[in-house]
Amino acid sequence: MAAPSTPPVAKAPMKPEDVLRAIAAARGTAICVPTMTTSPAWRTIAPDDLSVGCVGFMGGASAMGMGLALARPDRRVIVFDGDGSLLMQLGSLATIAGGAPRNLTHLLFKNGVYHTSGAQGIPGGFNVDFVMMAKGAGYRNAYAVTELEDFKRRLPSMLTEEGPLFVELHTGLSEQTPMTVRGGGVPFHTQVENLRAKLVQPR
Amino acid sequence: MPESIPASLIIDTLKDTFREARAAFAAEAKEPPRHDHLGWILSVPDTHQKTVLAALDKEEIIRTLTCATEDEATTISAGLWMGGEPNVLMIQHAGLYASVNTMRGVAMDGHVPVFYMIGLLSREKDKDPRESRHSMVRYAEPLLDTFGVPYARLEGPDDLHFIPEYYRLSRERRGPAVVLVGLETA
Repeated sequence: MAAPSTPPVAKAPMKPEDVLRAIAAARGTAICVPTMTTSPAWRTIAPDDLSVGCVGFMGGASAMGMGLALARPDRRVIVFDGDGSLLMQLGSLATIAGGAPRNLTHLLFKNGVYHTSGAQGIPGGFNVDFVMMAKGAGYRNAYAVTELEDFKRRLPSMLTEEGPLFVELHTGLSEQTPMTVRGGGVPFHTQVENLRAKLVQPR
Repeated sequence: MPESIPASLIIDTLKDTFREARAAFAAEAKEPPRHDHLGWILSVPDTHQKTVLAALDKEEIIRTLTCATEDEATTISAGLWMGGEPNVLMIQHAGLYASVNTMRGVAMDGHVPVFYMIGLLSREKDKDPRESRHSMVRYAEPLLDTFGVPYARLEGPDDLHFIPEYYRLSRERRGPAVVLVGLETA
């Protein structure tokens, strides 16, 4: 019997933490929606209330970002999606394209594996072309970025150009996952409450 | 015996529900969102409520967003609520079963009010839904009971008051609340 194949990965991937630090420095008042392996690092890098992490409901970050973007067209909304997560709700690409939120930036941290559950390969591995899928669904723009310096150079336009914008980021594995830092974060319902309070400012 | 409800009555009730929600929100928030529409319908098309969905296509004051899945609709609803936007989900019972983890993870664990109108397609006129020969009809209420989700049956025009009541209930309890649409809308 043949040995299980190793999932293909990016040849010189960006570190997710480096990408997140660049976003934190440039985001301004943008709302951020991390999911799975970007969540622990983002909590450390940007411990504010203008974010809501999506863990435990199987690929919902893009839809959460969509709702926020439609409700608050005055703010940028940035989704930090994962490739395994997006595959769980792939139809959200068409739903987002249909709703056409101009202020939505959908970043895909593509590493080819389900890192949180033990780095099993996603169906299709690293070769799945999410850029083509986003374009086919009807996103206003979609492209891939493979190098950190290129990401930093393009980041200002990612945060201002008319969306929905999709950017596939070729990344390696993050240092932490929700499984390695279990119990250390702010509960989801508290994140929800904090973000809503920031957005609607109760009297 | 249950009766079909005309689409126009449901839409008028939704408009009143959204107006009430916006007024309540204006009193609550320093900076209520300013939009031209009253609220959002998040729909994964339901045969049972198709006349309402068709009529909504002609409504400019209510925005309808068709979603690919009920998971998305539930999570988009949460995002809209965080941003201060009134919204209602219109789905079918099979969609409830398909999205139950999202209802749990988003609406229940997140303490997010999500109001669902769920069509009971194939519900027999002369049978209690719990005694239906169709499992999709029969299990809807027991499933909601299992998750502790309050619900009411929309069995005719006299029951339309359940729409604003259960919408408010979802906000008060910060979780899901459901109106089950008993017969196909007219």
